[in-house]
Amino acid sequence: MTIMQIIFLITASVTLFAALMVVSTRKMMHAAMWLILVLFGVTITFALLETRFFAIVQLVIYIGAIAILIIFAVMLTRRSMNADVPQVNRNWWLVMVSSLALFVGLVTVMSVWEGFFVTARTAPPGGENLVQLGTALVDPNGFVLPFEVASLVLLAAMVGAIYVAAERKEK
Amino acid sequence: MLNEYYPLVVISMIAIALGFFVVLLGSILGPRRPTQHKGQPYESGMIPYGPGTRRISVRYYLVAVLFILFDIEVVFFLPWAVAFRKLGVSGFILMVIFAVILEIAFVYAWKKGALEWE
Amino acid sequence: MNLSDYYAITPLVFLVCWAIFLLLVDLWIPAGRKGITALLSAAGLLIALVLVLRSGEQVLTAFEGSVVVDGFSVFLSVLFLVSALAGIALAHDYLQRLGLERGEYYPLLLISTSGMMLMTYAYDLIEVFLALELLSIPLYILAGFSRLNLESEEASLKYFLLGAFSSGFVLYGVGLVFAATGYTDFPGIAKAAQNGSLNPTLFLIGAGLVLTGFGFKSALVPFHMWSPDVYQGAPSPVTAFMSVGAKAAGFAALLRVFVVVFPGMSVNLTPLLWALAALTMFVGNIVALVQSNIKRLLAYSSIAHSGYLLMAFVPYGNASVRSDAIAGMLFYLAAYCLTTFGAWAVVIALEKAEGKGLELEDYAGLGHRYPFLAATMTIFLLSFTGVPLTLGFWGKFYLFSTAVEGGFWQLALIGLLTSLISAYYYLRVVVIMYMRPGTPQVQRNFWPLLTSGVGALAVVILGIAPGVLLNLAVSALLKGL
Repeated sequence: MTIMQIIFLITASVTLFAALMVVSTRKMMHAAMWLILVLFGVTITFALLETRFFAIVQLVIYIGAIAILIIFAVMLTRRSMNADVPQVNRNWWLVMVSSLALFVGLVTVMSVWEGFFVTARTAPPGGENLVQLGTALVDPNGFVLPFEVASLVLLAAMVGAIYVAAERKEK
Repeated sequence: MLNEYYPLVVISMIAIALGFFVVLLGSILGPRRPTQHKGQPYESGMIPYGPGTRRISVRYYLVAVLFILFDIEVVFFLPWAVAFRKLGVSGFILMVIFAVILEIAFVYAWKKGALEWE
Repeated sequence: MNLSDYYAITPLVFLVCWAIFLLLVDLWIPAGRKGITALLSAAGLLIALVLVLRSGEQVLTAFEGSVVVDGFSVFLSVLFLVSALAGIALAHDYLQRLGLERGEYYPLLLISTSGMMLMTYAYDLIEVFLALELLSIPLYILAGFSRLNLESEEASLKYFLLGAFSSGFVLYGVGLVFAATGYTDFPGIAKAAQNGSLNPTLFLIGAGLVLTGFGFKSALVPFHMWSPDVYQGAPSPVTAFMSVGAKAAGFAALLRVFVVVFPGMSVNLTPLLWALAALTMFVGNIVALVQSNIKRLLAYSSIAHSGYLLMAFVPYGNASVRSDAIAGMLFYLAAYCLTTFGAWAVVIALEKAEGKGLELEDYAGLGHRYPFLAATMTIFLLSFTGVPLTLGFWGKFYLFSTAVEGGFWQLALIGLLTSLISAYYYLRVVVIMYMRPGTPQVQRNFWPLLTSGVGALAVVILGIAPGVLLNLAVSALLKGL
């Protein structure tokens, strides 16, 4: 076992444990904190896959912004911050069985396919090609339309968030 | 590949160790004479009242939303900036369009008074 | 920068620029004079309409084939722009009356419309997904536009949560299709499907997930649970726009994806589509029987119409009837659009603040007091039912006949049977309007009355001469068909 595999195993088990805690802990705020650990685990996994850009994105967007937003959202709600309510309803075992079945099913489906066992190509020296990504973003033969549309989606979402949340002065 | 992250790992190790070390040092060396008043949560010298976890104003949420806006902008800027010299004028114009559309959200928020705190 | 790429999508670019311009201009228009924004947005939509019609029947491809402007997208773009115009005509007085006059309504509506247009242009799964988000996000906000009204808030939240959920399904499906084939653009996936260089199971699961996601958007049973509550809670003009635009966009994307990308999978998907269509027709029509609120009644009726529309998909694997089925679906969508907006215009004329004036009893006596409104409503309800010589009849006729041609006569029979069921609840409204005494209160605003008048006129004239619309639908075929 190489050191990389050891790091991966540790990261994976910590991430999975934290993910389990997110859904099972009783306090919303604690769940949000565990979520940050999950996201950090994913960051390390991306780094292990030699996709440094995605590791940065994961860190900057998910931990830096989304997790903070979730924590704010928890603090915005009046009672749920300290609520000590059960995390499961009567059908929890049903959901567990079906999600396990889905997982096993997907893995079985994937494993009969030869692409599942192909070893990943090693990344070119210096990790993934950030220049290529940057070029593709504004290349008419690449992703320029999705790129500009993404900004429009963000604009609409932002206007919506402000519309929903802004307090009305003129009333 | 691991070598690239080596400094990062070392720095994180040092930071974590330093954090533990300072707290540990304080608890070993510092004198401990607890009184009832010392045990109270500190709130600018006032006597604390009410629950510690109150509902915060929705304005913080707006700030967080605006923060996400610029955060995402940064993520798109990064690969673009790395490839900037290759992209030429058209790449520059397209990024300006992208940025301007996002800035309009900011103008909107500003004009709607989302940033006014009173 | 290749300008010919942008030339192909001029209407879209124009609409987006106009929406952003309006968003900014509206900040300086004082409250109480938002009619200016409404007029400006209507002007923008009209210009976009001209730009769409300009491209005619030629097929344009742009952005290395990831955008295709063909007759299909032109037909649907016109439908979406007309829907947005109707959405504005219905909204202005309504928002004023209910104290909701906010300028954001119009730019958000325009952005949503541009998302729908992009949906019809998209020839790449990434673009399909982005278009889906672009059309949905403004709709989430618009559903909760009446901010202090709890029902509207609930509608918005419900729509948002389930919409995000369904976007997740679509995205997961897109991811699996990409994993199975290595492509996201339609020609690439189709080529991989022909060569057999893909993982068939993964591909099938991906297709199923895409279908599920769009099933949520188009409110197919069993993914319809959100729609009655959302349709009831959202402001009526938004509901009208949503029930036409979002549904048509969902069907457009499904059609494009299924016909271009998954033609070889019809063996697996046809039984599924068959079951979905039958279930949607049954559940929508039967549950509509017991509704006493007109908004909920129209919501279930809209679910039922999704079932009829889905009938056009069932024989999609059969190349000989495919083009007829697509033409039938486009015809039905146009008929549904005209009829729905007309009916909602009448609903809006009777609706009062705080959700009053929406029960069926409130329509009692409408036939005597306001014969014009009652007559138009009767026309729309008859067209919804599919009574012969109305536009709705021809729509159902074309759909059922393609189903029979494709060898699915059982499905056509179910369609016929459920149409009979639907006659009960549609005609009940007519009976209440004409037979029961009552003093309905009507807001006589110009624009909703005009919308219902134009709608009724179109339904009658096109019902007498359906060939005009059918010819348009037939000539508006997909690229490569």
